[in-house]
Amino acid sequence: MSETDEVLLSVRNLYVEFATDDGLVSAVNDLSYDLKRGKTLAIVGESGSGKSVSSMALMGLVAGMNAKVSGEVYFDGQQLIGADPESVRKLRGDRMAMIFQDPLSSLHPFFRIGDQLVEAVQVHHDIDKKQAQVRVKAMLERVGIPDVDQRMNEYPHQLSGGMRQRVMIGMSLINNPELLIADEPTTALDVTVQAQILELLKDLQKEFGTAIILITHDLGVVADMADEVVVMYGGSAVEHAPVREIFYEPAMPYTWGLIASIPQISAKNAHLDPIPGNPPSLINLPSGCVFAPRCAFKQLVGDDLCEHERPQLSLISLEHASRCHLTENQRTDIRRARLIGRQK
Amino acid sequence: MLMVFMLTILSIVTFLLFNAVPTDPARLTCGKTCSPATIEANRIRLGLDQPLITQYLEWIKGIFAGRTYGSGTATFNCDAPCLGYSFRNGEQVTDMIVTSLPVTIYLALGAFVLWMVGGISTGIYAARKKGKWQDRAIMGVTLVGYSLPVFFIGILMLIFVVVRWNILPYPSYVGPNVDTLQFLQTMILPWISLAILYAAYYTRLTRSQMLDTMSEDYIRTARAKGLPEKIVLRKHALRAGLTPIVTSAGLDLAGLLGGAVITEYIFGLPGLGRLAIGAVTEYDLPTITATTLVAATFVIVANIVVDLLYAAIDPRVRLQ
Amino acid sequence: MNKTTNIRFGVGVASVALLLSACSSKSDNNSQSGTAGGTLYILTAAEQILHLDPQRNYTGEDLAFASGFLNRTLTQYAMTKDNNAASQIQADLATDTGTASDGGKTWEFTLRDGVKWEDGKPVTCADVAYGVSRTFATDVITDGPTYAISLLDIPKADGVSEYPGPYKASAAQQTLFDKAVVCDGNKLTFNLGAPTADFNYAVTLSAFAPVRKDADTGERYDDSVLSNGPYKIASYVKNSKLVLVRNDQWSKDTDPIRPAFPDSIEYVFSIAQPLLTQRLMKDSGKDAMAISPDGVDPTQLAVIFGDAKYTNRRLNDYDPYVRYIAINTKKVPNVKHRQAMLAALNRADLRKIAGGKYAGDDADGVVKPNIGQDYAATGLWDGLLGEAIPDTGNVALAKKLIAESGEKFPNPIVFDYGQSPTADKSASAIVAAMARAGIVVKPNPIEVGAYYGVVLDPAKQGSLSAGGWGPDWSNASTVLPELFTPGGGFNLSQFDDKAFTAESDAAKAIADRVEQAAAWQALNVKAAELALVIPTRFGKEQRIQGSMVQGAYIWGPYGSYPYGALSVSQ
Repeated sequence: MSETDEVLLSVRNLYVEFATDDGLVSAVNDLSYDLKRGKTLAIVGESGSGKSVSSMALMGLVAGMNAKVSGEVYFDGQQLIGADPESVRKLRGDRMAMIFQDPLSSLHPFFRIGDQLVEAVQVHHDIDKKQAQVRVKAMLERVGIPDVDQRMNEYPHQLSGGMRQRVMIGMSLINNPELLIADEPTTALDVTVQAQILELLKDLQKEFGTAIILITHDLGVVADMADEVVVMYGGSAVEHAPVREIFYEPAMPYTWGLIASIPQISAKNAHLDPIPGNPPSLINLPSGCVFAPRCAFKQLVGDDLCEHERPQLSLISLEHASRCHLTENQRTDIRRARLIGRQK
Repeated sequence: MLMVFMLTILSIVTFLLFNAVPTDPARLTCGKTCSPATIEANRIRLGLDQPLITQYLEWIKGIFAGRTYGSGTATFNCDAPCLGYSFRNGEQVTDMIVTSLPVTIYLALGAFVLWMVGGISTGIYAARKKGKWQDRAIMGVTLVGYSLPVFFIGILMLIFVVVRWNILPYPSYVGPNVDTLQFLQTMILPWISLAILYAAYYTRLTRSQMLDTMSEDYIRTARAKGLPEKIVLRKHALRAGLTPIVTSAGLDLAGLLGGAVITEYIFGLPGLGRLAIGAVTEYDLPTITATTLVAATFVIVANIVVDLLYAAIDPRVRLQ
Repeated sequence: MNKTTNIRFGVGVASVALLLSACSSKSDNNSQSGTAGGTLYILTAAEQILHLDPQRNYTGEDLAFASGFLNRTLTQYAMTKDNNAASQIQADLATDTGTASDGGKTWEFTLRDGVKWEDGKPVTCADVAYGVSRTFATDVITDGPTYAISLLDIPKADGVSEYPGPYKASAAQQTLFDKAVVCDGNKLTFNLGAPTADFNYAVTLSAFAPVRKDADTGERYDDSVLSNGPYKIASYVKNSKLVLVRNDQWSKDTDPIRPAFPDSIEYVFSIAQPLLTQRLMKDSGKDAMAISPDGVDPTQLAVIFGDAKYTNRRLNDYDPYVRYIAINTKKVPNVKHRQAMLAALNRADLRKIAGGKYAGDDADGVVKPNIGQDYAATGLWDGLLGEAIPDTGNVALAKKLIAESGEKFPNPIVFDYGQSPTADKSASAIVAAMARAGIVVKPNPIEVGAYYGVVLDPAKQGSLSAGGWGPDWSNASTVLPELFTPGGGFNLSQFDDKAFTAESDAAKAIADRVEQAAAWQALNVKAAELALVIPTRFGKEQRIQGSMVQGAYIWGPYGSYPYGALSVSQ
């Protein structure tokens, strides 16, 4: 599939709520984004920001967790929310696939590598085991597994972490999906291996034209991979922009905090500026801006607006939206004063 | 090798346990007006006058090579594997075990199949319906089943199914090759009574194992692959939760093979459990020793089999 | 009820008052009514009959069964519901009930003509002699009564017979036996070591029954006895069933005792309670033709004895046993101390724990009323010890007796008993009752199977031991000397008193039965006064049988069904 501007995935007003003993947890609040074929969208945020849950929800993987999902998710024009679970299951692993943070726990410890991939092929294709094995072997070779014949007969614990993630990637791409959700794919890996895996993902994306949702908290990875970025906080998107904009003209205090906390090797006077406070409880969200309790700039906004009124996700430019009560001028002044983003 | 070692230790412990008791086994071989000389004669005849170590070696020798009891014209042979001679029954212990063991094996295996199939499938069902009324109903029923003593279930079944409703004839054990129908009619209630007890436990065990493994990452992976829920449960989740089930199953089966005393008694099954309990009430030392050894051997063998099964189930165990 | 106690208690309850008139009051056995044919079923929880081998059989129920169907004896009791009549012996294999001479040292029996083994060969005098000789092979023939050894005139060294039994006797040793048991044609003479007035009662035990030498398989004979009775073994599978069919070599003409009504007998094993009682209560199909020696499931007693529909199918009568707590006189030598324990005990509590009214009556000695003339009330609880002792105990008397003893009470008192839930409760009750008089009892539960092995060992026995005893035949000679003399086989009291033993020996030798009975009665009172045991209960048993079973009652001599006389209606 060649690169086109065609939208593959369209998420509109997605809500995910969990009923727990402590109350209703609003894990995802009104999330919307589009992903074009062959492109990479990074979803960035702390743990608990809803970035993983939103992706699981659109894959139909939050069923059985007492979850209530509402909104609209169109995959290649097909509405997934509220659809027959069987039709969504048929998409999973075939046209949309997913890889996870910890490849050791994500691969079944009791089954051979080869068999786990063969199973992934056979569940969506009516072919015999031999043919499936041929396909698996080719894929494993493609993702860079040496001695494939031997490895196919091995179990996950016999492989190194990097190899395991290559296997996971191979397994997710085996049916040539149009969408790959990569949930923190390199977090559990050594730094050197991280780079290799990212490189592999990029190569494969080019080769197969796969659209990727990259879920991460690592802005370095974002810079390397993403075309577009959604920053999530407290279950909502707080900023949504092309990758360059996020780094050059981040538009709200939480994003500033994220960028400021990247260790910059070149910076002499490093502003290692972690965001104070804790992530919000998703039970009984405040009526004002979700980030307000940790925001250092809320006093710049008059009338305690940040405490009372939740800001809308509003466009700053054609492709850049953010959720903040600060004015454009206030933001520019702050960025300048604090040396955030590109200095004009 | 380990097994041989364990069995040796076991045989010594079993032998000492029952032969070093503060009761004179020779005294028990004759009736109330027994003279000391008679006791002495029987002591010699049974080799009980020998030191314990000699008695033990003689006993072990009997198991492998057979032995001869008594002296003069009153001798008799006990062929290998000779587990001793039961003075109270006037029979060789090996013969008694050989006749009673198959009964216990039929009983244990039949019940085992019933409870494993019933318990595991119900457990999976309950796990799938977690929190719904089906799950709650199953959990309630199993709690009751689990807390009912086996003799209660057995007697209840006998009195209702057999005595009141005449659904089955009175239990009367025959070998399956003698009269298959009667065998099945006799065994079905003991199978069910034993199975109810164990199935209740295995339902709960399977359910909790399933729920534990359902939150594992590889189950999420299996779902992400697009596997139907049935396969996710039965292949991926069950396989991962199988280890504790196999452990319990192996040991429970071994325990039953050593004799299901109460069930055998209630249903009049001439199995190992009845043999053992009869031996205990009559203080028939050779039989007590032998039945204990057989039962303990089952447990040791079961442990080894369970270990082998672990390796078959979990490749991580195999390679370490 | 309990068929598997370690020590077999003897059997026999009868009034020997009628002994002397036995020959004159010839009962007419043809008057026994019953329906011929059919099958009689016997249901039991046991896995087998403990011993069919006549020389090893020593359980009342099994003796009645085997003697009624398979193993005939020289004399046998009449099969009748009336205890006095039942206690009279009748000629069985012999033509009369034996002739004593030499003051009771020599007994002669004449064998009946025409009695055959199941294979058609005649039962000879030599067969009887051989059977009797087997008792001496004590290493093979276990569990049986050893009266042949103690009574026959064969030299003993240290209480051990010089004759080792037929299996390993030398020619010289065999001569010893052949001199004591002499065959002359069909005349059989027993030469005894001491005058034994009631030897012709002793031979009712199947230990004196014939066994044919060429059929003797030693230990294995237990499972395959050669029958000379009305039935023979068709099949015997332990844990399953024993089937008896008619012995076509048996003839009614040569057997005045056994009516032999059914065509076959099926003894069905391994039917546990409560199913067994439920089946008999339901009374359907073959179970209507069934009896059970096991007794009624205790939980059903109230139903069976409360509902009129069971009236004709239930039995509640004395079993052969007296239950008591033996007091070890070696450990409690002071008679006042022993008497104090008698006074302190709450017998009512013990009977309540044992099953209330179904467990039996308050006992006043070790001789039970159903033995006949040897029994007379001892007055033990009515002032024999100075004051009346109600069945709840007389604590004041107990304290007074201890005070009078002039010694400190030898606390603590160890109480041995065979462990069971009921026995545990009884032990607690004993501890509580004794404590009222300042007596400290320490219960010592012993595994049932090992119980008698422990308490019969003087080195291991405690101060109190639970016990039970029944006579081997209807003479207190099988009770008082057995329990209270050093030569007795069940002297749990460890009593060794020269005067008492001399009196007992003298009583044994009294030829006049009425005089002898008086002597036993006096000795029984003496034993009670010496507080050698605390008698607690004259036991009773309860049974239920199928509605088609005819002639069922508790047969006095064995405390069992009268097996040989049972029949089933068609």
